[in-house]
Amino acid sequence: MSVVVIGLSHRSAPVELRERFAFVETNIPDALKQLRESGLVTEGVVLSTCNRVEIYAATALVPDDQFFARVKKFFTEHHAYDGELGDELYTFAEPHSLHHLFKVAAGLDSMVIGETEIFGQLKKAYELAFQQKHTGVRLNKAFQRAFNVAKQIRTETNIQRGSVSVMSAAVELAEKIFISLAEHEVLIIGAGETSEKTARALQSRGVKKITVTNRSLERAQSLAAELGGRAVLFEQWPDEFERIDIAISSTAAPHHILDRAKLEPLMKRRRHRPLLLIDIAVPRDIDPAVNELDNVYLYNVDDLQSIASDYLKQRQDEVARCEQIIAGKVSALLEANKFANPAVRG
Amino acid sequence: MAWFTDRHCFLLAVTFYGLSTIYSVFLWRKGFRRDDWVNYILLAGGVALHTLAMAKRGMTLHSCPVNNLYEATTFLLWALGLASLVYALLPRFKFLCAFTSPVLFTVGVFALMPSLDPHGAKPEFSGALRSLHAATILQAYGAFGLAAVAAAMFLVEQHDLKFHKIRAVLSQLPSIQRLEMITARLIFVGFMLLTIGLAAGQQLPRHEGVPYFSDIKVIWSALLWLVYLEMLVARRYFGRSPRRFAAAAIAAFLVLLLTFWFTNLFSAIHHQ
Repeated sequence: MSVVVIGLSHRSAPVELRERFAFVETNIPDALKQLRESGLVTEGVVLSTCNRVEIYAATALVPDDQFFARVKKFFTEHHAYDGELGDELYTFAEPHSLHHLFKVAAGLDSMVIGETEIFGQLKKAYELAFQQKHTGVRLNKAFQRAFNVAKQIRTETNIQRGSVSVMSAAVELAEKIFISLAEHEVLIIGAGETSEKTARALQSRGVKKITVTNRSLERAQSLAAELGGRAVLFEQWPDEFERIDIAISSTAAPHHILDRAKLEPLMKRRRHRPLLLIDIAVPRDIDPAVNELDNVYLYNVDDLQSIASDYLKQRQDEVARCEQIIAGKVSALLEANKFANPAVRG
Repeated sequence: MAWFTDRHCFLLAVTFYGLSTIYSVFLWRKGFRRDDWVNYILLAGGVALHTLAMAKRGMTLHSCPVNNLYEATTFLLWALGLASLVYALLPRFKFLCAFTSPVLFTVGVFALMPSLDPHGAKPEFSGALRSLHAATILQAYGAFGLAAVAAAMFLVEQHDLKFHKIRAVLSQLPSIQRLEMITARLIFVGFMLLTIGLAAGQQLPRHEGVPYFSDIKVIWSALLWLVYLEMLVARRYFGRSPRRFAAAAIAAFLVLLLTFWFTNLFSAIHHQ
């Protein structure tokens, strides 16, 4: 009995193909039932996310080319796909299948290396198959090990450390300046999509009060309502500087809307409390000279992107360490399986 | 083991502080990315030996060991080291040790100079009020020292944030607001201890006709008291910027360190 994988992911197939092969969650138990009834596999788990569609299975057959051709046929027939498939669909037999499973669980095969969402998705896929009794000793053991390895990698390496998006880099900066974000108010100048995302990221880390201002008051009110904050007239935003500690600016103004001369008296009124300014507008909304003022920390989109890129590089540097952990765990699992199944020992 | 005196013990403690200083350089070069325990353990080893050295001296004297410059300096360093170990237990504060150990090492080496401890463990004064006076004042200096260390951490991180150095976000240092708050609290604690110490000193017996505020050390201490009072008042009521407050905390402690021995040598009431 060995573990095999067949599937396609963001690495091998475009989104048009991935969505063509995606499984609807409610149909997964039936698909697994059919697969097992085909006699090809004895156990199975289907993982279907926006970035990958994969079948993890345990089979008593020899996983050679003929076996994988039959599984591929099942895969394409199940989705009524009559086109040609080449390298888009990959297949793995042991030990590569286990190696792949462990990498997926640890987020090493994800689009954003080290992301944790896939861990939850894999766990959910496994639980669904487990509840429907489509898993057995082999897959249970493989998945449990995969979850343990992912946790170990998370604890022992820096693979999940840091912000890899502009929004989360802004949050991390805020946390380097303020003790607790819960006590600080955020002002959004220009109700754009990135501002909204950044505000939501700040909210997820405790920010409670958000004020939105926009040239169109309606748009400001609509975003404020979505974020549970309040809207103010665009002409009134400088008055807010006495209260707020973080400002995110992303207007379409062709010139600076905040410069040193305008901010200096506002800082005096703030009694020099630290102020974090996030300027994600292009062209920039805030004059870089304001960063020369005491207690003002100005970051533009390039600064944030550079933080995110550095974190990404740090994560990529950690991949080798993670691979080492995974290689050791795969060998240990294969060894344990060999002892559990004396027939394989020969 | 009679040959193993409290000074040998203190020498070992300073060695640990030295090792911690070397390790701190590596931490600094790596941008304080890993919040590990190695430096904390090295510093804890140093403080443990330091405590043993002071206990040995205290048991010989049968009183608090603050009789001469060597003892006063070791007491000050001990207060600084112990407070660092306690504060370092706060989340993201373990790097405090990396900032404290260079101070402990350099001042510790200075304290080991034989001229600072000419008579060895020999009681030069006694009385609970004298002990209270000396202990509270030295603890106040320890608090000021730790405040200067936290202020240095603040300035490093504030500079990195201001100039968009990537290590500002990659490091495991606490937020600058927390560092400023800790600096202010330590200065307040030091200020209160200094006030108690000076008040206790006023109650001590001295030669007739010698006013308390005519002694160079007392004048120096009173000036120091005023400097720290100004810092607290300016921050609280006049909105002094955190950067200036941190710079003042470091400058005040440097002045304290550089003039402490000098004023002590010329103080008549401390050499009665």
